[in-house]
Amino acid sequence: MHWIEGIVQGVLLGGLYAQYALGMALMFGVMKIVNVTHGDLVILLALIGISLADFTGIGPWGVLTTLVPVGAAIGWLLQRAVLNRVVGNDPLPSLIATFGLSIALQNAMLVVWSADTRSLSGGGLQQASIEIGPLFVGVLPVIVLICATVLTGGLDAVLRFTRYGRSLRAASADVEAAAMVGVNPKAVYAAATAIAVGILGFAATFQAMRSTVAPADGPFQLIYAFEAVIIGGLGSVWGAFTGAMILGISQAIGFRINPGFGILAGHIVFLAVLAIRPQGIFQRKS
Amino acid sequence: MSYRVERMTLSGRVAILAGALALGAIVSMPWWASQGLIRDVITLACFIAVAQMWNMLAGYGGLVSVGQQAFVGVAAYAMFVMAQSWGINPFIAVGLSLIAPALLAVPIYLLLHRLEGPYFAIGTWVVAEALRLVATNMPMVNGGAGMSLRVMTQFSAHERAIAGSFLAALLLLVTVGGSYLLLRSRYGLALTAMRDNPVAARSQGVDVQRLRFLIFVAAAIGTGFAGAVYFMVQLRITPPSAFDMNWANLAIFIVMVGGIGSIEGVLIGAVIYFFADRWFGEYGASYLIVLGLLTLMTALFFREGLWGLWRRTFDAPWFPTRRTLIQVERDVP
Repeated sequence: MHWIEGIVQGVLLGGLYAQYALGMALMFGVMKIVNVTHGDLVILLALIGISLADFTGIGPWGVLTTLVPVGAAIGWLLQRAVLNRVVGNDPLPSLIATFGLSIALQNAMLVVWSADTRSLSGGGLQQASIEIGPLFVGVLPVIVLICATVLTGGLDAVLRFTRYGRSLRAASADVEAAAMVGVNPKAVYAAATAIAVGILGFAATFQAMRSTVAPADGPFQLIYAFEAVIIGGLGSVWGAFTGAMILGISQAIGFRINPGFGILAGHIVFLAVLAIRPQGIFQRKS
Repeated sequence: MSYRVERMTLSGRVAILAGALALGAIVSMPWWASQGLIRDVITLACFIAVAQMWNMLAGYGGLVSVGQQAFVGVAAYAMFVMAQSWGINPFIAVGLSLIAPALLAVPIYLLLHRLEGPYFAIGTWVVAEALRLVATNMPMVNGGAGMSLRVMTQFSAHERAIAGSFLAALLLLVTVGGSYLLLRSRYGLALTAMRDNPVAARSQGVDVQRLRFLIFVAAAIGTGFAGAVYFMVQLRITPPSAFDMNWANLAIFIVMVGGIGSIEGVLIGAVIYFFADRWFGEYGASYLIVLGLLTLMTALFFREGLWGLWRRTFDAPWFPTRRTLIQVERDVP
């Protein structure tokens, strides 16, 4: 029972990690770049949301509906101002540019919001729980998991069935060939980053409600997103989703073994997957 | 007609002389410099070494790492354990501790080289984070509380200054001098070819994978050396300070601002970083915002760095690696 509870908690935690991982998988799939500010943007959006709730008194759902478009706008801006200049075969420029931006962003948040940890009040939602058989499960984590599942399914459907999804898949397969048949890569890239950071609007709201956020937390969220993507296997949004579940379960079980071991257990599972199945759990060998 | 290959230039000879004088001055510091200056010079030497190792990785090997603090921390901890727990002479322990990053670099590379470019970088970060957590949970190194190098009290301040200055000079000689010798050798040709175009280099018979592996291990040892020296002078180590992200941060800043793919750039960047840290470090977050934005701007608009800018105007390398063909005699027809 102890372990089943751990697995359930892990799956619920994985719901949050899936929301970090989706955007990263999308951006890497399309542009072959990693945005090092990915985690910092979660924190930035969360802090904006918390301040917004403090000043205006809007509830968590109001915060969520504000943060998603704000995130999309930030993503679009990031693409136009920075990422479009560094997309290319050489991984160095995009990494260094976003690495520098990440340092600047973390410290700018430190200046604006100070190093205090903050959280978003959910109006009693955090305490609510439901009884499933012998287990008590928090309502909020279940909402997060459902949300993550819907987002993953939605993103998968957009990629499979819409005109935008086709142009995005074309650009990720061969950007020059796609440009020849009328795809505008810059528009596709900007939309991909806008979607990726828009999804972080969900992640930010839920992160701020489930636990606390502080300006220096971003790198951890980046690493969890990355581990989820690699564990699941590159190039598939359901892979990222499953990777997030595996990461969540590893951490939750690790925490049960020893509270100091939780995060490390996630890293160890990541390294083990890299050693045994480097293409990820879901990717077939190419 | 007969030719000879010339690599050394006048500027190179002057630089070698200046470098030898500088190393001599560093070794002799305990007899003329203040404790504060000695400490500063050792710190600067560690910055230069870590940055130059990152330069070899990213500038020549095409391996962008943001987790070099893994090797700083592992070597420094190995040195503390050997000296403090096992009773080995601390100055000998600095040398022995380099076994740890060398041994660790092999499995790390074998695991991470499977990841594509940018993912490799984040992978190195995960490894550094994992090692920090291991150190935090390890009773052998006193967990999160960290360790103190109390054995150093058996030496006088003057003896410690001699050892520190000597190790700083040796560190510079190994990392900067060693890089230069490597770049001048036939491996250097292969590395430069790899820097310019890995695919073309492979087609010319360069074993890119093997070279990358060797560079990764060598950089781990050089970075570890800097870590062991740095924390020997600090006398205290904790997991957050040993595996501090700031090591990656400063290496990237120094190399990018100075000019990636050149040793001269590292020296220029390190001096700029050192003084910026000294003068503006007190502004804390605002200073780091500027540092981060400068790194961003360099990557966006100014990828050749300060040395690249200088080189456009003056053709006077300090560490010449270019081979020039000089005609010795003309055949009489």
